[in-house]
Amino acid sequence: MKTAAPDLARRRMWVGAAAVCAATLGSAIAPHALAALVAADHGRIDPPVPIPDIPVRRAGDGASAGLAVLLRGRATALHLMFTGCSSVCPIQGAIFERVQALLPDQQARGIQLISLSIDPLNDTPQTMRAWLKRFEARDGWIAVAPEPKNLDGLLDLFGAGRKLIETHATQVNIIDRQGALVFRTPELPSADAVADILRRV
Amino acid sequence: MLSAAATAQTTSVQAASAQEEYLHGEALFSGTIDLHGRMYTHVAEMPPAVVRCSNCHAVADGPGVARSLAPRLTHNLLLLRRTRRGGPPTNYNRNDFCTLLRRGVDPGFVMISVEMPRYTIDDANCRALWRYLIESGHENSGP
Repeated sequence: MKTAAPDLARRRMWVGAAAVCAATLGSAIAPHALAALVAADHGRIDPPVPIPDIPVRRAGDGASAGLAVLLRGRATALHLMFTGCSSVCPIQGAIFERVQALLPDQQARGIQLISLSIDPLNDTPQTMRAWLKRFEARDGWIAVAPEPKNLDGLLDLFGAGRKLIETHATQVNIIDRQGALVFRTPELPSADAVADILRRV
Repeated sequence: MLSAAATAQTTSVQAASAQEEYLHGEALFSGTIDLHGRMYTHVAEMPPAVVRCSNCHAVADGPGVARSLAPRLTHNLLLLRRTRRGGPPTNYNRNDFCTLLRRGVDPGFVMISVEMPRYTIDDANCRALWRYLIESGHENSGP
């Protein structure tokens, strides 16, 4: 189509501008602004969308870290979850557990898995650690919770805009080693599919 | 012709059998007995603990499942004729229910959501699960 090229060029320009902003302003850029650039419900995201450096709390010791810092230099699979969820989240956890089994050389490959809590008011570092333990998570799979004020934007960015915690997206977001969102799977993808994509990033 | 004593004995055996089946269905529902299922797009089965019915569904007037939007499986929900998922009005019978569990297709031939596992379940187990749901679906109606 005639309009495809200008559209793509415009999207690239906006993403480029967003990346500059992200680099310049750090956490000041809102995930909402980037979510508009992730047009696809699932599939490749082109151009890649840089993930803002919002602060998150880690499972276990509760240490604060910047999300972009956690992502940099690694290929990452990220899903949304909350520890008080008995319906789809255990399935999501089982999928990541199987991904780790399929990637015994995960650490050497620079691959990581991130479970991002969408219930930061209730998910403590301790409950998140217990959740990981339930799925026998090994090194290279972490759980983090954002600050509540950033949750809405993250649901836009990683959760296809689905805001109800009960019906949160169960897709897996793939982030490249530059910290940019490059792929989003369909709902509840197979572990084989996730592992295969991670090997290629 | 059966004597009154023989009739009573037969009825008693049937009742015991029905009760055993109900309890077996309850155990399948709660996960005390494993159900085997996989996600629609997966080849491998999921661990039984993550595909328990009770992870998502509540039954009758029992306690609800927090933060789950999966329907409460009541007698009326299953047996009353109603539209489901945008399809034509339908109600379940045991065969439809087993087809849904195994293939993910409802009585109106509409596919259910990707979050609902597809189960490998034989006729006896499916019958037990159906009995449990139908008989416990009335308020205070367990055997």
